[in-house]
Amino acid sequence: MVFYKCNNCNKKWQQPVSICPFCFSKLERIRTEKLKVIASSKVVIPSLLHPKIPYYALLIEDECGNKFAYKSMKDRRVGDSLEFASSDNRDAVVIWKANYDLLDAIENIVKLAKLEIRKDSKILVLPTLVEPVHNHFHENTSLEFLDAILTYLENVGVRKIKIATQSLSDKPIEILAQKSGLLDVCIKHKLTPFDLANSGFDNQGSIHISREVKENDLLLNLSALKSGKSSSNENAMRLIEKSNYEALRYLYSEEYIFKALSSIDNMFIFGEAIHPQRTDKFPVFRSLIFGSRNPVNLDAVFNNTGMVNNLPKYLRDTKVDQIKIIGREIDEVKRNIDLIL
Amino acid sequence: MYIKGVGMTKFDYSTKNWWDFAYEASIEALKDASMSMGDIDAIVFTSISSAAGGEHQTHKVSLLSDIFKTNIPIIEIASVCGGGGVALWTALKMKGFKNVMVLAAEKFADNRSEVVTDWILSAAEKVYEQTEGMLFPTQNALIWQMYMEKYGATMDDLSLIAYKNHQNAALNPKAYFYKKPVEIEKIKNSPEVSFPLRLMDCSLSVNGGAAVIISSDKSDIEVVGSGFATDHILTFGRENITHFKATQMAAKIAYEDAGIKPENIDLAEIHDAFTSVELISYEDLGFAEMGKGADLIRSGEINRDGSLPINVSGGLKAKGHPISATGLAQVYEIVHQLRGDCAERQVRKHDIGLTHNIGGAGGSVTVHILKKI
Repeated sequence: MVFYKCNNCNKKWQQPVSICPFCFSKLERIRTEKLKVIASSKVVIPSLLHPKIPYYALLIEDECGNKFAYKSMKDRRVGDSLEFASSDNRDAVVIWKANYDLLDAIENIVKLAKLEIRKDSKILVLPTLVEPVHNHFHENTSLEFLDAILTYLENVGVRKIKIATQSLSDKPIEILAQKSGLLDVCIKHKLTPFDLANSGFDNQGSIHISREVKENDLLLNLSALKSGKSSSNENAMRLIEKSNYEALRYLYSEEYIFKALSSIDNMFIFGEAIHPQRTDKFPVFRSLIFGSRNPVNLDAVFNNTGMVNNLPKYLRDTKVDQIKIIGREIDEVKRNIDLIL
Repeated sequence: MYIKGVGMTKFDYSTKNWWDFAYEASIEALKDASMSMGDIDAIVFTSISSAAGGEHQTHKVSLLSDIFKTNIPIIEIASVCGGGGVALWTALKMKGFKNVMVLAAEKFADNRSEVVTDWILSAAEKVYEQTEGMLFPTQNALIWQMYMEKYGATMDDLSLIAYKNHQNAALNPKAYFYKKPVEIEKIKNSPEVSFPLRLMDCSLSVNGGAAVIISSDKSDIEVVGSGFATDHILTFGRENITHFKATQMAAKIAYEDAGIKPENIDLAEIHDAFTSVELISYEDLGFAEMGKGADLIRSGEINRDGSLPINVSGGLKAKGHPISATGLAQVYEIVHQLRGDCAERQVRKHDIGLTHNIGGAGGSVTVHILKKI
């Protein structure tokens, strides 16, 4: 858990504020690790936010004496430790609550998924950039999330970072990047986004994949999750040559394309669900981030947490209960996304 | 400042419009003050209703201007369950106005309980607490667990509080539980909603309105003390989680303002959103030493016929808790008790009364002290 402390005034915050309002000192960001249950309440009242009962509302204390609330579906005892097991299982899905601090969520997901990011890693960042609209429509990767990812990579010391996407519509990416504000974030981090259409493509059977896939150690697919679809795969489709993509769409199903994309083994998806869109395109506040190497599993788990029933067959057929879940449990964050406004 | 008139609706599940509750309470207060709307110089209004039933109206003050056919300043103060008290505190600070109406109305219980629960939950912190399952009963259940562990009080103590408040409400015609007394076994055996709190430890989310007219002109009741304090919304980020610091601070200000001590109080209306909050508040308000609150309920001192009757109206527990209207309904009860016109539930000694109103889990608290002139 992360807290912010003014070392001058000794005041502490859970919210990521930057400066102490009393002495104007910069706050220290403190991460605590040892979490212990100090009280537990079995809750049997259903609400829209917590439809599945019973659940257990825990009071947790860390090694610095900070206390905070935590929802669990398991009956934990006072004195129990709260620990999160990590796994590099390729099909596993990490669920994490963002709690305003996106950097904290990214750090936790990287750790829990055992994602290897080194200083000398070559990384291609693939944001969702599909509509020339402002940030609050949540069509594209949010400015805050892109900023947090790039900050994280810079904090690790990664020097070889590229950022790219490809427009599969008639909207040029320059316009999309400018109108959405993503261009400003790239400029802040001294990066110039480029169009994958100009990257060159290799044939892998019937599918033509950008050479950037092979030329980078890791692809970070920043999928802006949307209900009722496979947002992670849709974003990965930007790696396919546009004419090839159109032909594949004409000849085959989306599922066929998604299966072909599964050959990409150096991609990790950060599914952003801070304000995901419902199927009617209204964004709702969920404050979640998902992580996985398996886009279908990630999208299936995301939709399951929103209790979305109207799904494409390949998502509907995915057995969520057989997917290894890391971090928060599905039922801890599950609520009917259609009942939120 | 003085209280000229008070009014309140019956607290129940009536499905009238929210502004009907405001209107009905206002008319009673005006008649009680022997005034008309033309005598009122400003209104301070408070409400959170009513998203759940689709009647939500953010510009309520303009709607009130319309129904009262007035163009005086109308200010809206939002402080959830503590709204009534904060509105009164605000009105008392307003200079240059002779007669101010403090008004609250809520049509809160107007949908399925899951929806209403979710709506009241919006008064808690969104990301760190709401999404971590911290319903208000749950926050208070965890606080109570920590309190019991530290001080050794029991669930039986809470049963006695619920029983006392239900006994009182049975005598209050404006209470939801009027003429509906509840036996202690029913309280003890009520189902747990959030361990260890049971259904009968929780107050009743009802609809209703209340109004208080204050004036610089002398009347039979003076507001001699007024205190207000806030506290961090993250309940468990506070230094002391077994007590409410904002109550302690607001009470200290009010006592100093009035120039009196807790032992001078004859009766009190305490914010018993949960029975555990009532017990903890005995200590925060200075009626009992820290950790000794249970002694008050065990001794019977705070029963209607005791030396310090608490929640003679039935409290939020059994009169009902229409969110923002609660703080003003407390004033309504104290004013009538000080006047000595409460019939069966009239307390013996009634010179100085106290109201204690909480918003959220101790997030905004007001304490007011009223004195019979």
